[in-house]
Amino acid sequence: MSDLVHIDGAPRPKADPKVIAGIAMNLVLVCAVSAIVLGGVYVGTERYQREARLAGERSAVSGMLALGEGAEVTEVRQYLDAPKREVRYLAKEYGNESAPTREFVFGLDGSLHASTAGAVASGASGAAESAESANTAEPAGLEELGRLFVAKQGGALAGFVLEGESRGYKNRIRFFVALDSSLAVKGVRVLEHEEDPGLGAEIATPVFRAQFSGRTPDEIAALGVTRDPMPEDWHAALSAFASSTGGEAPAEWRTLMDRERTKPIYAVTGATISSRALTRGVKGTVDHFRRRWALLAPQLEGEGASR
Amino acid sequence: MSETTERPPGALQLLFNGIVSENPVFRLALSLCPAVAVTTTVANGFILGVAVLAVQVLSSLTVAIARGVIHPRVRIPVYTIIIAVWVSAIDMALAAFVPSLYAQVGLYIKLIVAFAIIISRLEVFASRQPLVPSFWDAVGMGLGFMIALMVIGALREVLGSGSFFGIVLFKTKPLLFFALPAGGFFSIALLMAFFNALERKLTGGTAKPAAGGHHG
Repeated sequence: MSDLVHIDGAPRPKADPKVIAGIAMNLVLVCAVSAIVLGGVYVGTERYQREARLAGERSAVSGMLALGEGAEVTEVRQYLDAPKREVRYLAKEYGNESAPTREFVFGLDGSLHASTAGAVASGASGAAESAESANTAEPAGLEELGRLFVAKQGGALAGFVLEGESRGYKNRIRFFVALDSSLAVKGVRVLEHEEDPGLGAEIATPVFRAQFSGRTPDEIAALGVTRDPMPEDWHAALSAFASSTGGEAPAEWRTLMDRERTKPIYAVTGATISSRALTRGVKGTVDHFRRRWALLAPQLEGEGASR
Repeated sequence: MSETTERPPGALQLLFNGIVSENPVFRLALSLCPAVAVTTTVANGFILGVAVLAVQVLSSLTVAIARGVIHPRVRIPVYTIIIAVWVSAIDMALAAFVPSLYAQVGLYIKLIVAFAIIISRLEVFASRQPLVPSFWDAVGMGLGFMIALMVIGALREVLGSGSFFGIVLFKTKPLLFFALPAGGFFSIALLMAFFNALERKLTGGTAKPAAGGHHG
């Protein structure tokens, strides 16, 4: 300790254990009080935070798909079980905590490993048991792949909402992609992000998000990002499209869409990283979904028919 | 900062001090990074300003109350913890109870922990003054910061985006440069020069120029 010196070369004064103990006590006290305050605020707000988030998601799902009264929405949670090389799907009526959960397990090669529909699972009692355990506990140790929502209106498929995530400039960007029944993009909504206000945060604006709408899965798969400025007429058409509530898309948008559908996304000025992040996320989410839905659709549908 | 433990100044004087004679942005040149990053529009400046005002007042009050308890040799980390606790508590409360407002201001709230202006007011003022003057100092500084951000935001929004408070003034974007970060520094420099010139004119050339030097 004696060789420690101040920057100016003067010898460092001997530390007084009493002073050090005082400082340590002081910091412990401050941290303890802070922890109690923060813990208290968390306990007091956690339930409301979760409710607010769920309510926001619910209105996003029905708003993005323009669902009317009596729509049936199935929430499918997806988990990757890496050691067993399996993907598990837990399907359940959306927003109904007491609804039964159906479970489908696929291998990474696309083969069906297990299903509570009865074909693969060992009898009805096994199915009920599995459904119950899935109801009460989140599958532990599995990697979450984001949820998807399958909407039906009057018995017919009305569309999908996919939850996706991408790494943005600072933190993850969480978003929803809505698809119509032909898997073309209906809309994109950014749910959570921490991009810079005035720069990267512009990816959450209606005009930027509207650039994804109307593109088919093949066009999404080929989608790039450009730093070129967005053409003025396309900007006007996108903002008209973004502010049109339901119903038919504006005519100017439909004509320009034919010109733009094979063009890249126009990045936010000064925020190419954020623009690329959202585009990459939407591409990956739609692409994964396209392959998963091919496996999942017969299972979910078959289940519905036998009920 | 010579007035330390003498008789505390009055509320009006503290408010004037924070908004004009020691304006955080134009005179003390503190927290210029967020001032540049966020002020692309008036509305952005206003939202961040309100958030800073709230955190500044709450942190100053906490420090003014607890100043006898805080050990002087670890006061800076303790101030940081106090600011972080308030910021996190406000963040969680807004997310829980006003989710629609949180969707707009959530981004700004988290930035505030690292603002130099808040910790500097705790160190310079709230740790040496009683509760009431500390409150008025915090209000004055918070308002001064908010007004400065709105002035910068107004200049940049009109010049860079051709609008004011979201209302479109011109169809074209006149000088996009002002909407970008580099333009933010130029805007602050122009406004600082303008306020210095104005003050010199009003006081007959006796006023000293802005302090500067600090950043963060």
